Amino acid sequence: MPEISENKIVIPSQPALIRDIDEFVEAKLREWGVADTLIADIAICATEIVNNGIYHGNKEDPQKLVTLQLESGEDEIKITITDEGDYFNPDEIANPIAEENLLREVGRGIFIVRQLMDNVTIRQAEGGGTEVTFTKKIA
Amino acid sequence: MKLTSREEGAVVVLEPRGKIIGGPDATVLREQVRDLTNSGKKKIVIDLAGVDWMNSTGLGILISCLTTLRNSGGELKLARITEKIESLLTITKLVTVFDTYDSAEDAISAFSGD
Ligand SMILES: Nc1ncnc2c1ncn2[C@@H]1O[C@H](COP(=O)(O)OP(=O)(O)O)[C@@H](O)[C@H]1O
Ligand SMILES: [Mg+2]
Repeated sequence: MPEISENKIVIPSQPALIRDIDEFVEAKLREWGVADTLIADIAICATEIVNNGIYHGNKEDPQKLVTLQLESGEDEIKITITDEGDYFNPDEIANPIAEENLLREVGRGIFIVRQLMDNVTIRQAEGGGTEVTFTKKIA
Repeated sequence: MKLTSREEGAVVVLEPRGKIIGGPDATVLREQVRDLTNSGKKKIVIDLAGVDWMNSTGLGILISCLTTLRNSGGELKLARITEKIESLLTITKLVTVFDTYDSAEDAISAFSGD
């Protein structure tokens, strides 16, 4: 079950809970008056990174959690997503728009987030897993 | 995501509804296309008017449908993609990979008649 507090949602690593992540993020951003088209972009990116935490980081272990924290600044939204898996090196991801990779079914998530959001940082979380932060200008 | 389908002559039109963002229900579309291909139905339109947006999980599923069909001599066409999905296809250079049409009818009549 997801655990929700003011601006934070914590889920066990179960793939079906990605719906709860989407609903939480969209509801909050709507409450903050963010434009619909930006809400969609931010929710696309939030679900990308949380899926990565569920599948790649926590390997669907329901004992391990994925945490999403939303912050609303003066003119931007900031989202931080943490998992409890092993940190990975994001520099090693293959380029999904290279001709030879176009028909691969996977490998576009982080690329899409980098394209749609303004500032994306990926680093090792304090607990050892992965922490991804991204921001999006809303005004 | 929910999935309905209809047949128009030799063409099957699949109509998913709801975002395709991962989770257990996301694979229904992929499985449906595989089943149709196995039963000899190889001209398929996916009408995406009911899918506001998707993430890379959805894009991966569309590619899987495309390759399943191509590998068995079939064809996939997409109809009525939303603005959000169009911009995702552009960003990922997948516009060059998929045939997209403004309506399901346009997509249906674009299949080679044989
Ligand atoms: N949170 C994470 N923990 C461990 N590895 C990750 C994480 N996020 C991404 N990765 C690695 O980066 C790769 C690329 O991720 P992504 O661009 O989202 O594509 P995909 O998820 O389709 O593989 C993944 O296949 C995985 O190896
Ligand atoms: Mg991913």
